[in-house]
Amino acid sequence: MIDTVAFGAAVAMLAGSLDAWIWVIPGLLIGLVFGALPGISVSMAMALVLPATLYMEFLPAIIFLTSVYTGAGFGGSIPAVLINIPGTSSAVATTFDGYPMAWQGKHNEALGAALFASCIGVLLSYVILLVLVQPMAEVVLRIGPYEMAAIGIWGMVLLGSIGASSVAKGLFAAGLGVLFGMVGMNTAGYMRGDMGITWLLDGIPTIPAMVGLLAASQLFALVNAKFIVEAESERSISLRRILAGGMLVLKNPVTLLRGSAIGVFVGAVPGIGSSIANLLSYGETRRNARDPESFGKGDVRGVIAAESANSSSEGGSMATMLALGIPGGGATAILLAAFAMHNVIGGPRFMEESRDVVYAIILSNFAQAAILVVVGTLFVYGASTIVRLPLRYLIPCVLVMSAMGAFAIEGSIAGPITLFVFAVLGWLLSRYGFPVAAVVVGLLLGRLIETELLRAWQLAGGDVWYVLNYPWALGILGLMVVSLALSVRRDLRKRRARVARA
Amino acid sequence: MSQGETRRQPAWAELAFVTALAAGVLAFLVEARGVSLDPQNLLLLQPTAWLVLGLWAVLAIGCLTRRRPADAPPRESTADLLRILAMVAAFGLFTAGLEQVGYDIAICAFVLVALLIGGERHWAALLLFPPLFTLAVIEGFRLLIPYPFPTTLL
Repeated sequence: MIDTVAFGAAVAMLAGSLDAWIWVIPGLLIGLVFGALPGISVSMAMALVLPATLYMEFLPAIIFLTSVYTGAGFGGSIPAVLINIPGTSSAVATTFDGYPMAWQGKHNEALGAALFASCIGVLLSYVILLVLVQPMAEVVLRIGPYEMAAIGIWGMVLLGSIGASSVAKGLFAAGLGVLFGMVGMNTAGYMRGDMGITWLLDGIPTIPAMVGLLAASQLFALVNAKFIVEAESERSISLRRILAGGMLVLKNPVTLLRGSAIGVFVGAVPGIGSSIANLLSYGETRRNARDPESFGKGDVRGVIAAESANSSSEGGSMATMLALGIPGGGATAILLAAFAMHNVIGGPRFMEESRDVVYAIILSNFAQAAILVVVGTLFVYGASTIVRLPLRYLIPCVLVMSAMGAFAIEGSIAGPITLFVFAVLGWLLSRYGFPVAAVVVGLLLGRLIETELLRAWQLAGGDVWYVLNYPWALGILGLMVVSLALSVRRDLRKRRARVARA
Repeated sequence: MSQGETRRQPAWAELAFVTALAAGVLAFLVEARGVSLDPQNLLLLQPTAWLVLGLWAVLAIGCLTRRRPADAPPRESTADLLRILAMVAAFGLFTAGLEQVGYDIAICAFVLVALLIGGERHWAALLLFPPLFTLAVIEGFRLLIPYPFPTTLL
């Protein structure tokens, strides 16, 4: 499956060009800084540096941009762990266990685990890309609305009741989230729930709502606390503990591999990518764990699952972009723009005619993942000082930065208003024991599920049995039902064993 | 109404909150049905709304029959709750004021008030930190984002 001649040419191309290397560390650092800023997305960071690549050769330009992509992919997990802010939707699941770990004074371990899971995830995804780029792209083309709806429903079922104190509260919160996701105009052209507000026609702005629900609401609840980590002895920043966190990744190879596989496959699907991959991976890891109740309370496996999936989705989306010329999301769209700036058109012909360049991009990403371990560790070491800041300073600063980030995403006051409304809602929900994470998952998946169900409905002309023509979708749903049945059986056995012991 | 070590104590605030959310969902459903009864409009919306409204009944019963340990401590003191509400109100005013008084004034005023709510009493910190932080945020975001935002002084 590997074209050895082109592979050799790629190695020679990288070995003989200093230009291809000097932009890697600056790219990673830019990505880390921008990714760590709440509200600045991966694609925004790449868009900001895009003009600078116009004056570079094609290969160094693409390597620089993919370095920013790789750095920002991990950078988003830093605020997710330290202040519960998922800078992008791909870091949502990282907050579920990363932030509780920070609360317990395990911020060093959480960030170390996130960094190593990210680096290994990127590495694995590019290994898969190197070997399977063409067949993967062909599989992606077969994924239609039925399969997408099935993936979305799978995500909802896995995560619908996450962190709930009761099933009813979990489902209520997830249902609310799904309904929030359906506000505005749907793909069939019906406008609902917009309350006459023009900007709501496009739906509730997802990232400001998410930051409000997860982070700002949490900050309100912290007004009476002094520090994120209450115990002074736990506020230390330790390189040894960051690396120990990294070692935890190696002790959980199944979680890492599962996350990477989900990330590559889901990341390759245009339009969803890492925002769902991290949720699916987290949900699957929790479902397969012997002690699922430990998730959401600071279980390092949750961080590993989320980070390995969101990082490896980079390789997946690169596969679709390189093989088909289809951007999976904002970041790969900017890469395609960089291709165009250098008069190169991505897609099957590029794969065929410039396979050596494709291999050079992939090989360079192996190096980026390795360099990110060093650069990221140093960056995390600096960023962790946030736990030493008194909350009376941190709360207003983070609230202002979140509001400005929300403005930056929407380009209007709609962002800060959404942030405030959802911050209050999130605070009240968590105050009364409702799982805020379930609302976020519903918000992210609600619109996707509705859009895909609508497409499926239109394809079938209203005939529900038409789904029988889509074995992949049935397979995904079948797998979901079987895995749920196994989980229920395992829980029942556990309960019986507990009763017998008592 | 004591019974053993627990006593019945309906969770009125939680009930009011859940009911307000359910009312919002009902309003959303009624409005959506008013737009069109076509399945392409209600395919996912209607069943989800009915599910949420059904769950409201379950949660409402749970709130009304809630039992708490007789000696359970309160969730937080009134002063603590007032501090949280003050921060929520300050953030709300900040959001509302961004376009009205300018981003610079709104940020500076919010940071000052939030520091006071958080317990900062050192006059030098109160005098220096809000304007310096505002300057950094305004200039930083001017470099980063392509959209203009209104400011009064900066």
